Amino acid sequence: MTIFHRQRSQGMRFLRGLLLPLVALAGFAFARSSTGDSVLVLLDPSLDRDNFSIFFGDLEKQGYKLTFRSPKEAEPQIIKDDVAQFAHVIVFAPDTKSYAADITPQSLVSLLNKNTNLLLALSTKQTPITSLAAEFSLILPPPGTPLISHFPERDTPATIIPVEPPRAQSLVSSNLAPIWFSGVPQALGNNPMLVPFLKAPPQSFASDGDSDSGSDALVEAAEKGGEGLWAGSQLSLVTGFQTLKNARATWVGGIDMFTDEFFNKEVSKGKQSGNRQFARDVTAWTFQESNVLRIDTVEHHRVNETLPRETYTINDRVTYTAYISKFNPELDLWEPYSNIKDMQLEFTMLDPHIRTALPPVPGEPGKYSVTFRVPDRHGVFKFVVDYKRKGSTYLESTTVVPVVPPRHDEYPRFLSAAWPYYAGAISTSAAFVIFVALWLGGDEREPKKGKGAKAE
Amino acid sequence: MPATKTAPPAKQTVSHAQSHPLLSLWNAYYESTSTRLKTIDAFLVFLVLSGVIQFLYCILVSNFPFNAFLAGCVGQFVLAASLRAQVNPANRSEFKEVSPERAFADFALGSIVLHFFVYNFLG
Repeated sequence: MTIFHRQRSQGMRFLRGLLLPLVALAGFAFARSSTGDSVLVLLDPSLDRDNFSIFFGDLEKQGYKLTFRSPKEAEPQIIKDDVAQFAHVIVFAPDTKSYAADITPQSLVSLLNKNTNLLLALSTKQTPITSLAAEFSLILPPPGTPLISHFPERDTPATIIPVEPPRAQSLVSSNLAPIWFSGVPQALGNNPMLVPFLKAPPQSFASDGDSDSGSDALVEAAEKGGEGLWAGSQLSLVTGFQTLKNARATWVGGIDMFTDEFFNKEVSKGKQSGNRQFARDVTAWTFQESNVLRIDTVEHHRVNETLPRETYTINDRVTYTAYISKFNPELDLWEPYSNIKDMQLEFTMLDPHIRTALPPVPGEPGKYSVTFRVPDRHGVFKFVVDYKRKGSTYLESTTVVPVVPPRHDEYPRFLSAAWPYYAGAISTSAAFVIFVALWLGGDEREPKKGKGAKAE
Repeated sequence: MPATKTAPPAKQTVSHAQSHPLLSLWNAYYESTSTRLKTIDAFLVFLVLSGVIQFLYCILVSNFPFNAFLAGCVGQFVLAASLRAQVNPANRSEFKEVSPERAFADFALGSIVLHFFVYNFLG
């Protein structure tokens, strides 16, 4: 049923309107990824799958097909014959130091290049995965230093912290209850592709967890003027990373936040933690369900025409149109999306000669259009849409068009500004005619004067 | 050249011209130049004025279309000046083989060809 529906929706766009209510009636409540349903879970044998039953159960309920594998097993391979075998890979092996031959930091990066999404868990131990984190501009504290916070007062150890969810962020559901966290924080490097989901509480710091207070580390760091102190809300606990090819990798500071225990743990009397919904939001982003956009088509044509030209002439007025869709995970459909307000169009030849807003067209969903005058400059130009925003799929489109000078018969003729020149030419001709008439007419009189002049 | 020869009698006849050399020059020219040469000179003056006006317009307002400006009156001026040189009796010795009639025919033909090209490139 679903495959049938998907083929229809891809093949015949005009049937979409007809199918949409049908699909809604059929009640596909679960969400779908825009890239595929197969998930490989690399679960360390030391972790009991039953501890994560709610997390994995939720994924399966949404329609994902989970395949479990121990990191040291050889099968199933993640990449076979240079083809990624799974649409998403969850690496829940925070303490595993040795992996099977096909799982290396390099192979995980090549998975991202094949548009496979990754969900990776970190821990306080030094493993190949922690060294890979540095390649994603995540700076981890030294091994063995989990995040500690003594606030708010509670009956859990200092390393198990309720974290307030971010306010006013589109990636995570609003009004979440605090989220239980236990693990390592990450300092974020200066990389624009990082998307922090959850920031550490301001009172928290990373320190040796064995000496419960952690005050020694604080005192030491304070003596050095705060240097080397891993503390405060600049640290991230769950961090997304979107590659230039739009694959997504999410780094989670501690695997405990996905356990049934943390899902069901109360943050205050009678109030369940926000972990379950937060895990849902994080996987939805990581597996390319939410915030997935694409440019369907782009069009360009001269004003008052409908078809694109092979070439444009300088100073032409040209209309550029882009159609943008957003993936709807609930209906497994691409829907027209008109909510981008800050997109820009560039008309470039090496440099952008024109950079203008590309606003949505009111009343036409998914359509963004702008009309502008081609610069007074000929050459090979490009229409460039380059829309990169944190957390959203990067939209990129480049269309090459040559811009030529007017042909010899395309220049404007008989301009009003040139009338002095025309008058000059006409008066010269008229004067020539008069001159010739005078010359020929004065022929009889001339010899007398000429003789007179000669006589003198 | 004839103007300088006839200058002294001009001074005698017009008494107040003695005070002003430019005026005496004008009188000498007026009296000693043939009507035909005067016609040519008038034509040349007209062309120069027309050219100056167009040049000012070109600088101050617009040189677009530039071809229309170029098509103006310079060519006609050159042709007219050549005609004046050839039909001037004072230059008879230099243009012995060119009669005034032949010079005028050359001028007329050259001008017609010039005007043909000017109108061709004007628009």
